[in-house]
Amino acid sequence: MSWQWFHRLGSPRWFYQTSTRWLPLLALIAAAILISGLVWGLAIAPADAKQGNSFRIIYIHVPASFLALAGYYIMAIAGAVGLIWKMKLSYMVMKSAAPIGAALTFIALVTGAIWGKPTWGTYWVWDARITSMLILLFLYLGVMALQYAYHSIDAASKAGAILALVGTVNIPIIYKSVDWWYTLHQPATIKFTSAPSMHIDMFLPLLVMIVGFYLFYAVALILHTRSEILRRERKTAWVRELIEPEAR
Amino acid sequence: MGHSINSGYSAWLKRDLLLAYRRRGEAASPLIFFVMVSTLIPLGLTPESSQLAEIAAGMIWVMALLATLLSVDGLFANDYQDGSLEQLLITPQLLPMPVLGKITAHWLTTGLPLTLASPLLGVMLSLPTSGYLPMLCSLALGTACLSLTGAVGAALTVSLRKGGLFLSLLVIPLYMPVIIFGTATISYAIDGLNWLPPLAILGALFAASVALCPLAAAGALRITSAN
Amino acid sequence: MYFASFQDLLAMDGHGIYVWSAVIISLLVLAWLIVAPMLSRRALLKEVARDILRERARQSSSTNTQGES
Repeated sequence: MSWQWFHRLGSPRWFYQTSTRWLPLLALIAAAILISGLVWGLAIAPADAKQGNSFRIIYIHVPASFLALAGYYIMAIAGAVGLIWKMKLSYMVMKSAAPIGAALTFIALVTGAIWGKPTWGTYWVWDARITSMLILLFLYLGVMALQYAYHSIDAASKAGAILALVGTVNIPIIYKSVDWWYTLHQPATIKFTSAPSMHIDMFLPLLVMIVGFYLFYAVALILHTRSEILRRERKTAWVRELIEPEAR
Repeated sequence: MGHSINSGYSAWLKRDLLLAYRRRGEAASPLIFFVMVSTLIPLGLTPESSQLAEIAAGMIWVMALLATLLSVDGLFANDYQDGSLEQLLITPQLLPMPVLGKITAHWLTTGLPLTLASPLLGVMLSLPTSGYLPMLCSLALGTACLSLTGAVGAALTVSLRKGGLFLSLLVIPLYMPVIIFGTATISYAIDGLNWLPPLAILGALFAASVALCPLAAAGALRITSAN
Repeated sequence: MYFASFQDLLAMDGHGIYVWSAVIISLLVLAWLIVAPMLSRRALLKEVARDILRERARQSSSTNTQGES
């Protein structure tokens, strides 16, 4: 009885129709928070004593990194739910989460590299965080590529889910290994974000941006999932009913 | 009970060893690749002994990794093509055990020869003397991890046409912790530090891989060869 | 605002090019993440509409050949 909501949650039709109602509001809130956070961070917050104004890149770099990592876990959990409960919608969410996460990882890498130039004098440094981000990008690309390689949607979803889960187990290991490797070769580590020692005036806009990015991720994920639903369910009656009023 | 599990593991281990023996030339190519590519390093970089000594540990490890990567594709692909993968899937034993048997055979024919040949490369690349024993230990454990993890990737791509190309993309991120701790073992020893801690971590990676990879590979095989 | 003028905001004491290029690249990628699914949704709906029209045309042509004129 109480599982009813869970199984209803797994209906692509329910997801599509519910998201049609709520997406505009969610998008509005996300945009408002992002814009205000960005303005706050870029124009209002004080500059860093050591790095000057280039540290403002943090307001994009850090939230993107958070979401890149969180997004992978969301993708893996969606895969696990799909494998355990054989829920089609879950596989669709997993497939949608991959390119979004990869794009955010890309943003994290690019903003990190651009930040590195005025700070350390070079665009690329093999420090622990950037190297881990790069590996995360490879993991995302692998999950995406594997799903596209299979012709059968069912096999593609299951294979993608297994790979995502294998990656999940490995991510803490990889992060820790790379971290350890970096301290081995570079005793003086310069941390990108000294978040705890950050002044509150610099920290608050960062929090706003992190919340804004989470909301953005939700909006993007819902949009991609809606597309995927239409793609896979286009032969069904309820999708046709969406069109009926429009077709002559 | 114990008998049925054993017959799954050792039966497929012996089978794969026999098949590798019949295709000796093909089975030896990772080893030959390993040795030959190491001549590219002095040619590409420098014949200077002191400079080679600095990079020897890392280069040997990278080449061992690449050689394993090249060979792991054939772990299930050959069986898929001649239909014996179906036989593997309908075997009454629990699938992870025969899979582990195949992986063991793969290591015996790839990782172990690489490990045994590595001192030769150490000489060619001027590896300092203190590095030899750590190199043997780290390669022995590490290549086992590589075979195990590679098997999961091979299982996921077995039914794909260009599976081999994919395999590298999927598996290299998973290989990175192994190479980090493998080379650290050797460099610790060369620097005069205690090289057992990184080796122990490599051992932990091996233990985790032995426990989990056969399960993951078996699950992936069931799914992907239904195609 | 932290900066004295809009020009100062753009220049950011010489770091402007770094900050603004990072911002612009990121915004472009984020925009793509929103626009791409919207475009594909529209294309998919058009496809479904086309399928419906095609089916209807096929049905009506088959009933025509059966019946009167």
